[in-house]
Amino acid sequence: MIGEMKTYDVAVIGGGPAGLAAAIAASREGASVLLCEREARLGGILKQCIHDGFGVIRFGEKLSGPEYAHRYIEQLKETDVQVKRLCFVTRVTKEENSFVLELVSREGVERVRAGSLVLATGCRERTARQVAIHGTRPAGLLTAGNAQYYTNILGQMPARRCMILGSGDIGLIMARRLTLEGARVLGVYEAKPTPSGLSRNIAQCLHDFDIPLHLRHTVTRVFGSERLEAVEVAQVDERMQPIEGTKQLVECDALILSVGLIPENELAESLGVPLAADTKGPVCDQSYMTMVEGVYSCGNAMHVNDLVDYVSESGEAAGRAAARYTYAPRTFAGVQAGAGFLYAVPQKLDLAHPTQETVLYFRSKEDRGKTLVRVLADGREIFKKRYNQLRPPEMERLALELSNEDLVEGSVLRLEMEDA
Amino acid sequence: MRSINRINKRLNKEFGGAVHAAEERGCVVLNGRVSTWEEVVRAGVLAVDKKHNRGVINRVTATGQTVPPMRIPELKDETLEGRRPDVLVIGAGVTGCAIARELARYDLDILLVDKEHDVALHASSRNDGMVHPGIDLRKGSAKHHYNMRGNALYDEMCSELGVEFQRPGQYLCFTKAWMVPLLYLTLLYWKWLGIPGVEVVRAKELFRREPNLAKDIKVALYFPNAGIVCPYGLTIALAENAVENGVQLSLNTVVLGMKLQEDGIQSAQTNRGTVYPKVVVNAAGVFADAVARMADDQFYSIHPRRGTNSILDKKYTSVVLNTIAAKFGASPKSAHTKGGGIVRTVGGNLLIGPDAVETCERENFATRRESIQGTFAKHSQTSPALNEGEIITYFTGVRAPTYEEDFVVCKGVHCKNLVHAAGIQSPGLTAAPAIGADVARMAAELAFGREPTLKMDFKPTRVPIVCAAHLSAEARAALIAQNPDYGEILCRCEEVSRGEVLDALRRPVPCTTVDGVKRRVRPGMGRCQGGFCGPLVAQVIAGELDIPLDQVQKSGAGSNIVLGPTKGGEAG
Repeated sequence: MIGEMKTYDVAVIGGGPAGLAAAIAASREGASVLLCEREARLGGILKQCIHDGFGVIRFGEKLSGPEYAHRYIEQLKETDVQVKRLCFVTRVTKEENSFVLELVSREGVERVRAGSLVLATGCRERTARQVAIHGTRPAGLLTAGNAQYYTNILGQMPARRCMILGSGDIGLIMARRLTLEGARVLGVYEAKPTPSGLSRNIAQCLHDFDIPLHLRHTVTRVFGSERLEAVEVAQVDERMQPIEGTKQLVECDALILSVGLIPENELAESLGVPLAADTKGPVCDQSYMTMVEGVYSCGNAMHVNDLVDYVSESGEAAGRAAARYTYAPRTFAGVQAGAGFLYAVPQKLDLAHPTQETVLYFRSKEDRGKTLVRVLADGREIFKKRYNQLRPPEMERLALELSNEDLVEGSVLRLEMEDA
Repeated sequence: MRSINRINKRLNKEFGGAVHAAEERGCVVLNGRVSTWEEVVRAGVLAVDKKHNRGVINRVTATGQTVPPMRIPELKDETLEGRRPDVLVIGAGVTGCAIARELARYDLDILLVDKEHDVALHASSRNDGMVHPGIDLRKGSAKHHYNMRGNALYDEMCSELGVEFQRPGQYLCFTKAWMVPLLYLTLLYWKWLGIPGVEVVRAKELFRREPNLAKDIKVALYFPNAGIVCPYGLTIALAENAVENGVQLSLNTVVLGMKLQEDGIQSAQTNRGTVYPKVVVNAAGVFADAVARMADDQFYSIHPRRGTNSILDKKYTSVVLNTIAAKFGASPKSAHTKGGGIVRTVGGNLLIGPDAVETCERENFATRRESIQGTFAKHSQTSPALNEGEIITYFTGVRAPTYEEDFVVCKGVHCKNLVHAAGIQSPGLTAAPAIGADVARMAAELAFGREPTLKMDFKPTRVPIVCAAHLSAEARAALIAQNPDYGEILCRCEEVSRGEVLDALRRPVPCTTVDGVKRRVRPGMGRCQGGFCGPLVAQVIAGELDIPLDQVQKSGAGSNIVLGPTKGGEAG
């Protein structure tokens, strides 16, 4: 039943792009690594992303999701990482200098010990109820990722005549995908004045297929007792409230939601890992260690990324650091994002364990034109960069060299932006 | 007669002659035409005179307000044609299922029918799951009688059926310190009502027990006999145990009419053939008055009342409340509910609600934004930690009250082989075991025509579906060793295994839908609301029933999850 407890240097939870990169990196550092994946196959959500555009930064070519995952799975095969599939981590407890994981699989219940932990648990989609959609609850009301699973993994049509609420990337991708499969996509409705998805997806998925994008519009109610029959759409005002008199009934058999992603951090929370209000992911240092010693976070669990290339990058960094982890105390400087930023990660710099370069990711709060972003160390400008435009859907990355900046405990690295 | 005159006077004053009351067979019958549904209900309420009349039959209509007809299953066959059960129970909600299970103790042939494709699809799956202490019930009412008896029966019934039942107790909170001596005085009243163990809890102790209650609360009454149960879980368990003891359950079966003879029911026409029962039990919920009318034994009208509840992510439960609480006098107030509150469910989530809105639509379960906003505004006065952002789902149910606002539990008045279990609204869930016992006894007496004979081999216990996540690691490992399906987690939020999903499909009460599986073993009940596990559960159903994936239903007929293969996809 519950056998002798195996011990690993690093346990990686999640076998998507972040977890794959973390496991490979940790193993290359010489650590013994366990990779737990709850599904039957590695690759995470990439498995169902059969469109291209993955890997432009990492590999300099446009791959499909499964191809991108395949490259890492091939690399993983060359390591001695212990991979467990269909393996669910039910509980993690922190002991003095290690973690004990309880794993449930078809083989039974197993407890393993790990020196450090990498949480690569990805994110989940916001549901209809979380964006306050009211009315009945028929079949045909589903998230874009769910629709993508049915279409691309199971080869089944989730809709014949549908509309999409939210202009997130998965929604845009599904608008094109379902059109190619012969479904009629009536339009994409977005409550905000600007689209939430990448510009390239607006062009390639909507414009190229003549799918209308209705900004400042939302779905107020749905109808149909068994299958969805119609939705009520309305224009919204500045406070996102529906405007009376603009309500309109649209007949369709499905409403597909692409209204945001939420990092999955229930395991992190069970370990007492503090989360940031803006990213909904753990507060981390530049090696992606959370505020709980020995617990690392990466990929979309840490913050929702726009490109998988960055997911792999943070996974790799977290895996490498987790392999080197020594339980030596950390000394923190803070990272602050000023006005105009949606968020910046990491939120902390560990001065006791400096990295060669420090990577900062940020997003702006609003669509902007020419912008100057400056980085100040304790008030001193140490870096600046001009952008032709900044958009919330598009994440930006800065790599800084901080070794000569004389940062001390309590120092503050501050990001500021201004029109340029 | 004087009573009718008084009622007509009241009605004339309010409606200027548009509504007229007449006395028929001891009942007040209202006829007329008004402009809104609210006025229809108002007329019914004004006509109540319990002292002189049996009940109000309201036939008033509203201009421009079409009452939708009852939804009827599309299925038509002859499977029940010529069937002659001793007892036909109409309605497989918690009341009908409790009655059927109690009837199974007797040596009788019992047929339980419901027009829906599963049990507990109306009010029994659309309530707050509270087993009420009986705070605001009038002594002498049927509600009070059955609530107190039902509440006391819960521990034994749930333990027999393997249904989780807890008594976290309920706090009724007060903001005025000067009420403390008065509250001590009320202890005698609770004792007189039959509510055991009530205590006055002063602020210091109250905040030690429930630290997140609103700071303006000075004192509370604690009712330790308040309980929580999964209402549809209980209904399913009652139905399964009934079936295991020989009850025939026929779903998708609607009673369309009755043929009467010599003051009794000769036969009942259904969409699946004509049934010739000795006795009929009316447990038809919002349609109980329609059934009574078919049997020519109507002496009450149901006026549907909608209520909406919200469910919060279970990870926030401990920062709000661990029991059940409501604040006295919190507004907006709504008449004829237990006032709603915050309830920690057996699933570990918090439930907020319900509200109460009169409606002419007996089967419209659509939710509305105003309901959520109203209940949150009200109950965040009890615990300000409540946050609408933590909602994972919400649902609407429709209560089935009479104008007398009391349960109707009795033998037929004009129809000799009918028993009524009607007007069942809150606290109907609490009352179900007691109503079940009484109605079964009445029906059995009618069926036997003498002292009923008990069956020797009635088996009151039921083995529930194992909940692997609640087992110790050792027990779970042993279970997986026996059957590895229990080790394959399909629902990550609620940690439900393939084995449990398969179990749900192989029970005495058949279940073939994604929502049916959800009500039995909880995949999709969590924070992702089935986003990840939905397709996995659908595939298990397709495999087990050996049907293509595009035939798998979410809920009723026509709710197919997917609509057929993609261009390059394979069927199934």
